[in-house]
Amino acid sequence: MSLGYLTRRLFSVLLVLVIVSFAVFAITMILPGNAAVMILGEYATEDQLLALAEVLGLNRPWYIQYFEWAGNILQADWGMSLRLSLPVGEVVGDAFWNSASLAVTALGTVIIIAIPLGILAALYRGSKVDLGIGLFAYVGTAMPEFVTATLLLVFLAGSAGGYLPAGGFIAPNESFPGFVSHVILPAGTLGLILMAHIARQVRSEMSDVLASDYIRAARLKGLRERTVIRRHALPNSLAPAVAVISLDIGYLLGGIIVVEEIFAWPGLGRLLIYALENRDLPVIQAITLLLAAVYALSNLFSDLVIAALDPRVRY
Amino acid sequence: MIKSLKQFTKTRSEMVRGMAVAVGLAAVLALPGTGFAQNETPKVGGVLKIAHSTRIATMNVLNLSGPAEYPAIDMLYSGLTRIGMDNHPHPDLAESWSANSDATVFDFKLRPNVTFHDGTPLTSGDVVATFEAIQDPARGASARSVLTMVEKVEAIDNLTVRFTLTVSYADLPVAVAHANARIISAKALAGPKENLENKPNGTGPFKLESYDSSRMTRLVRNDNYFIEGVPYLDAVELHLFPDLTAQSANYLSGNMDVLLAVEQADYDRIDKAPGSNALRVASGRFVNVVMRFDQKPFDDVRVRKALAMSIDRQTLVDVILEGLGRPARDNILSPEYAYVIDSPEIPYDTAAAKQLLADAGYPDGIKIDLVASNRPAIRGQVAIAIKQMALPAGFDINVKSMPHDTYLANYWRKGNFYMAYWGMRSTPDGAFTLLLTSDASYEDTAWNNKEFDAIVAKARSTPDDSERAQLYAEAQKLILRDTPYIIPFFQDVLTASRDGVKGWVVHPLNRVYYIESVWLDRN
Amino acid sequence: MSDFVRHPAGVAGAILLTIIALAVLFGPLVAPYDPQAFHTTVRLQGPSADHWLGTDQFGRDLLSRLLFGARSTIAFGVGATMISVIAGSLIGVTAGVVGGWIDSVIMRGLDGMLAVPDLLFVLLIVTMLGAGTGEAMLAVSIAFTPGMARISRSSVLSIRTREYVLAAVARGESQRYIILSEVIPNAIGPIIVEGTIRVSFAIMIGATLGFLGMGAQPPSTEWGLMVSEARQFMYRSPWVVAVPGLAIAVAAMGFNLFGDALRDAFDPRRSR
Repeated sequence: MSLGYLTRRLFSVLLVLVIVSFAVFAITMILPGNAAVMILGEYATEDQLLALAEVLGLNRPWYIQYFEWAGNILQADWGMSLRLSLPVGEVVGDAFWNSASLAVTALGTVIIIAIPLGILAALYRGSKVDLGIGLFAYVGTAMPEFVTATLLLVFLAGSAGGYLPAGGFIAPNESFPGFVSHVILPAGTLGLILMAHIARQVRSEMSDVLASDYIRAARLKGLRERTVIRRHALPNSLAPAVAVISLDIGYLLGGIIVVEEIFAWPGLGRLLIYALENRDLPVIQAITLLLAAVYALSNLFSDLVIAALDPRVRY
Repeated sequence: MIKSLKQFTKTRSEMVRGMAVAVGLAAVLALPGTGFAQNETPKVGGVLKIAHSTRIATMNVLNLSGPAEYPAIDMLYSGLTRIGMDNHPHPDLAESWSANSDATVFDFKLRPNVTFHDGTPLTSGDVVATFEAIQDPARGASARSVLTMVEKVEAIDNLTVRFTLTVSYADLPVAVAHANARIISAKALAGPKENLENKPNGTGPFKLESYDSSRMTRLVRNDNYFIEGVPYLDAVELHLFPDLTAQSANYLSGNMDVLLAVEQADYDRIDKAPGSNALRVASGRFVNVVMRFDQKPFDDVRVRKALAMSIDRQTLVDVILEGLGRPARDNILSPEYAYVIDSPEIPYDTAAAKQLLADAGYPDGIKIDLVASNRPAIRGQVAIAIKQMALPAGFDINVKSMPHDTYLANYWRKGNFYMAYWGMRSTPDGAFTLLLTSDASYEDTAWNNKEFDAIVAKARSTPDDSERAQLYAEAQKLILRDTPYIIPFFQDVLTASRDGVKGWVVHPLNRVYYIESVWLDRN
Repeated sequence: MSDFVRHPAGVAGAILLTIIALAVLFGPLVAPYDPQAFHTTVRLQGPSADHWLGTDQFGRDLLSRLLFGARSTIAFGVGATMISVIAGSLIGVTAGVVGGWIDSVIMRGLDGMLAVPDLLFVLLIVTMLGAGTGEAMLAVSIAFTPGMARISRSSVLSIRTREYVLAAVARGESQRYIILSEVIPNAIGPIIVEGTIRVSFAIMIGATLGFLGMGAQPPSTEWGLMVSEARQFMYRSPWVVAVPGLAIAVAAMGFNLFGDALRDAFDPRRSR
């Protein structure tokens, strides 16, 4: 693939981010309340609200606020959180790594489990194994994350289940076993729906490939079944799986919001909910941009992986 | 177990006598009433883990209001005085105080050799700077509304502060015990705002070690605390669990030692769980229905009374509070307040209510929107219950729930019918001047009753106790006559601690915790 | 059609959907109680003779709330998706048929909107519009429109080069005739399939918004809101959470299965 293609893709990612930043800014400008109202809450009088809004710079015209913010971003200054009085970069940065550890764990586990499941289902099509996996897939996709999370919390954690901690977070560098025990439930919740999608996709792709002439020819050639699968069926089925995974990253970024809230995981999702409730514009902007960038870049990355896996694809 | 509380404020004569008592108290723990058995000696050491569900967004003691922020600053900062479980002001940074004969000038003598966590010594200059900041409108200080009678604060010498008041006010020592009126160093007040929010520097029994508002805040023992022998704990950790299910699960599994606020729905389960002890403290905090006097239909007192009669208060306590509260009769003062009078019972009588509505010119009932913010959720729950209960009387109420900031921006103090939520105050004067007088800080019902205003002003400056009682009785009768708010119940403060945690208690004001007296007995 | 019936998944989906449709159409008529009425003496009870699915924290009958809530929950999902299908198809078909720089501009705009993950986009819009069922529905339809536009556009693009279209062009038919009689009828298939599957996502996002307090507001009987309010009472009566939770799952599964079966029926190339 050409350098030109890469450059064009990166440029359009940038363009997209600019559009997103502007849209988010416009959205929060229309809100009835603002950060000063939320900070002072019910204990505020008119004059206090005005004074605080002045201090926070909320009374200036919107285009001035936007361009000042945009200019600062370009100098890597993300501003101050209105609610927490800490630099946005610091607050969002910490949250980002926490979310990343959760997302990567979820994705990694899913890939390790879902792909073999899909392959199994395809190999034993029509059998009970296939049916079982199919059922699991359907049930998995049908429940919203907050229902799954609640059920897991009730049955596997805390005093009822007693095995796993009921929410909370320990950083991997503080204590790896601690991190693992705390990440299992939230990653599992996120992973459930992803596993269902990916297993289904792999199964259907694999089935198609297994029934194709290409494979039939390989079998007729007398190759062992294992070789047929490993060297011919698998690589051709994986490309679409990668496409599904990249689509699911979008789902993951959404699901993380609810899962982090329920399991007290101090990541971007929780921070976003808090920022939305408190109209903390700099934080909302930063998180939205970050998530959009992650999504766009992961799409780009998966396109590259597909190209690597499938020589027919040309950019 | 319910702790019942008596008189809330000292009478003026007690106050003057109290000066002598106060000096004696300075050498001892400032807080009677946290009570551990006589034969138990506190053990030193250990880390207390507190689970809470709302973020500690700031440590700026001047204007914070979050439920988990109060325990934090109760540990980090000290005030001139502090409210005890006996509801009297006790010496904290001020070891004694005295007033002139008509209670218009107060002198507070500070303890010597007190230092802030950063080592700077406490002087009267810091006290003066703090109270000037509180009175500065630009700071948005919450304690401002209870200190409007303070004309001047000055440092007489290094350890004496003089308050000059515009009127006679015997309760000043109670007023300066306000949880947001803690003493900050003059240096910090002059510095950047971010330091006040994130780097608290107080004189309290604990100092800040680490602060991650998204996860956990850790405080450690202040070895230079001005009271010998306390705190017992090595450290206190405040852990955030925004989801209530995860919070209680962590507490019940023993991961956490204290559950700061227990939900009504969970109370029974948490009390009965092995190793856990729930605590219920009667408090005067309430949810109220605001009905504006200057707009239809509530300009007619008969309509107000009709709605008051269409609410089954006991059922509200049973269903929404799970019995963990007491029915109220529209008097803003709960039984704990000094000078409170008995309010007549208000029966749930929808037939009589319907008749009253007809008398007032609404024979076909009234159709109206009731606004309820979603924070805390109890507002919406009460609104829904009221809607159902008032239906037979002819009230067709449409409950409009909305996010908190939309409510604050568009309805609070503007709308004619909405649900509000207020905590308890230390004195009747505090409650009246917060909400009900014409110039009250958060006045929102447009009652504007000159008679009431005059009574409250007079009572403030009356030194004689029995005269005061009479005045406050009249004030309450006016409230009961006009029903500025419907107050259906008083909600208990609920908390819990595990076996092995000794001395954990919460004051009915829900802002004072006495954590320096807590100790751990883990065998 | 016979293809469709042979697939058990499709049949299962159709059965589930029929149940859901019955609940939506006739629910409020057959509900035994007023969904808002309190029965304070029987709070948080499990199933009983009086209350077949039990009661909630206010003593309200769960079965009645479920039947009334079917309308808000399903109508939310279907309504939001239909709006996004109509809006998206208009945009996508226009882009696909017209082509040129209009197409490019539209695609750039769609890419921008698609860059933001669904739930995040919905949250931002709902925060701006304010919480409430109508606002949430609008937010979800706005969030889904770019995806539907994409699908309809690629559908149109792939049809443009088919033989029957080329034949119509060769015959000299008008642009309008070609679009209405050849392109749209054939493009509709994938759009309907995607739309059906999207309904289940819309239902789940609606429920999630209710859970976060940004969607339906109390005392609405929307199923997601029912789950959210009931969570703290879970330990006293699991039914309060299980009943609406399962209802959501059944509805989502129904649309999912049905949509998958539709996809298989429409696409003869897929070998299953």
